Amino acid sequence: MFLARVVGTVWSTVKWDKLEGLKLLLVRPYHLDELKGGGAPEGLHDGVVVADILGAGVGEDVVIAYGHSARVGIEPHLPKGTPPTRPIDAAVVAIVDSFQVESEEGAET
Amino acid sequence: MILGSVIGQVWGAQRSAQLGPEKMLLVAVLGAPGADGERVASGRVVVALDDLGARIGETVTVTWGSGARAVLKAPENRKVLADAAIARIVDGSSAGEE
Repeated sequence: MFLARVVGTVWSTVKWDKLEGLKLLLVRPYHLDELKGGGAPEGLHDGVVVADILGAGVGEDVVIAYGHSARVGIEPHLPKGTPPTRPIDAAVVAIVDSFQVESEEGAET
Repeated sequence: MILGSVIGQVWGAQRSAQLGPEKMLLVAVLGAPGADGERVASGRVVVALDDLGARIGETVTVTWGSGARAVLKAPENRKVLADAAIARIVDGSSAGEE
């Protein structure tokens, strides 16, 4: 899992039909330097597209899980009997209230 | 697995029910040792669930995927949402010739 800031949303019309209504977010993983109070290193601005059923919004911090965990995580959203194979590999599993890094208080959302 | 250093903790009341009740720790991934033998943080940070009681400053190994679910001895492991867990609190490690 990793800690990330929600920076945007992604929407599409053409998709795997069972994913209708599943919200997609664009998130940016935190780099160690940012957590310690500095800026992100140059060139490190890769985003990750994640599914969200918890209702996270832009500007919030979230915890993202990959792989099997992400597929299981979105299960409550899917119709009963949907096969366990589904085209999702990253999902929000927690919305962050606060985090603390070493002795310094981290950003709160 | 990766070797990492525990740097902090994350709190969030709104979490998926199946994520598990364990603490969410922030772990800075450690790279290969440099010439002086010290391992330096790579910059990547992961969130791992902790069932072992690791503390800030300790070196740990983090295991992924099914390995993480095996650590979090939930009754139904396939339903556990965590994909990373602290597997060991490390006492020491070495690289190259002693």
